[in-house]
Amino acid sequence: MSPNIMSRKEPVIALKELTKEFAGGKRAVDHLSFTVEAGTITALLGPNGAGKSTTISMILGLQQPTKGEVKLLGGSPQDLAVRSRIGAMLQDTETVHGLKVEEAIDLFRNFYSRPMPLELLLQMAGLEQERHKMASSLSGGQKRRLAFAMALAGDPEVLFLDEPTVGMDVMSRQVFWESVRALARLGKTIILTTHYLEEADQLADRIIVINNGRLIADGTPAEIKATTRHKSVIFTAGPGLTPGDLEQLPGTAEAVWNGRRVKLTSPDTDTLIFAIARMNLDVRDIEITGGGLEEAFQTLVQTEGAR
Amino acid sequence: MYTTALLAQCRAEIKRTLRNRRFFIFSLMMPALFYFIFTGVVGDSMQIGGTDWKSYYLMSMTVYGVLGSSITSLSSRLAAERASGYIRLLRVSPLPSTVYVLSKLVSTLMVNAGIIVFMFLLGGLVKGVSMGWESWLACGLWIWAGSLPFMALGTLIGLIKNTDLVQVIAQLVYMGISVLGGLWFPKQAMNSTLQRIMEALPSYRFGSGAWSLAAGHAVSLQSLLILCGYAVVFMVLSSYLNKRQEAI
Repeated sequence: MSPNIMSRKEPVIALKELTKEFAGGKRAVDHLSFTVEAGTITALLGPNGAGKSTTISMILGLQQPTKGEVKLLGGSPQDLAVRSRIGAMLQDTETVHGLKVEEAIDLFRNFYSRPMPLELLLQMAGLEQERHKMASSLSGGQKRRLAFAMALAGDPEVLFLDEPTVGMDVMSRQVFWESVRALARLGKTIILTTHYLEEADQLADRIIVINNGRLIADGTPAEIKATTRHKSVIFTAGPGLTPGDLEQLPGTAEAVWNGRRVKLTSPDTDTLIFAIARMNLDVRDIEITGGGLEEAFQTLVQTEGAR
Repeated sequence: MYTTALLAQCRAEIKRTLRNRRFFIFSLMMPALFYFIFTGVVGDSMQIGGTDWKSYYLMSMTVYGVLGSSITSLSSRLAAERASGYIRLLRVSPLPSTVYVLSKLVSTLMVNAGIIVFMFLLGGLVKGVSMGWESWLACGLWIWAGSLPFMALGTLIGLIKNTDLVQVIAQLVYMGISVLGGLWFPKQAMNSTLQRIMEALPSYRFGSGAWSLAAGHAVSLQSLLILCGYAVVFMVLSSYLNKRQEAI
């Protein structure tokens, strides 16, 4: 490929030193720079308040950066021509008032010059049964699926999914991600944020980790997972085990209690297991999981925080 | 270029209005009910402002119904759309905000035309109000066009941040300017202090134009200018506040 053609292929999203300061000097986004290429699925991960939603808001032109620059499809997100080529599922969008499901979707279809067919949208969002229901009467997960259909109404090239699966049950989530995969196969560019790390792991071909508004890791899921050797030991605590007992264990991070189910993360789970056996702790149903995105994510965020 | 979007948005707005129970109660039922009660109490043929009471009060109640749809429906819907994040969604879509605002105005105008026709049919067919067709037309057009400043007022109230407050304030303003504007009880029934307050209110100026036309007179220039003045103030205020809220 000649360099000429290479340079002509512009990234879908380009952030340059993007910064957002709120009143009071709090920096939600801090000199963030990255580009997203066409046809990729990128997951933006980070703990609560890391600046993910603010970043998405600025890419979409809903908030103005304090400093830095956003380019979306080579132009400004305020540009109507750019907006006609994108779709977004935002957080905190309740629903459309006073309209039925198919009316709401059809309304949005009319805003675009080449909309997706209504039937296809209903099918992709799994809302065929609910098409004649009032949008306001839908369950939380169904409302998210309606938002998905409305985001797709204009057959966008770029799709933003900000915490799309919140409120969806397991079945809905499966159907939803299947639709997203189908869109990716069609060559759409997808940017998503999610709390469910396994979703990002299975779906994204690139993960960008943000903490305190800064980029702390960027790579394929495999690359991100390779940044840590941490694994987790998970077990059910017997009645005799107290949190204090676990503090004497060597080289572990904080124990996470979920009912009586306990999770310990450590760079050396072998030593940890031997120590648990030696101390004769009251535990059963031991599992070792490792090399997952969750361990990598936690290590990244913790080491960054300690810096 | 944006005709499809505008038409779709207008259709959706009108569907929403017709599905709203509050709209039927406040903009159709109440004016109609008041009309029959107060013409029953006072008597149809009492002379007032150069015409009979049943014609005069038909104008009052039509104006009252149109005010309801322009102020309360518009403001509560705008507030709800902002609170639910719907406006954010529109700002990501290629629908220009001018088309969105225009669709609100056009659909409210269409609903208001419906209210006017409904009330006039009620007065003409049930109460036997008789006027020349020119007078009917003039009264109808005046009330129709005169609702514009009150749509601007509705938009202004809809910009208040607190959604619960929007409904309360819209109701208070609506009832307040209706009573003080002489739509419920005519000016002649009030004392001189109230009459002076009344003359400064846009609702009175709106009503007085309709009463003049029903009596076969022209709308006074003073009323027209005051109403236009209010329209400008409401529009400037609401577009200023809207800009300020969007610039986050």
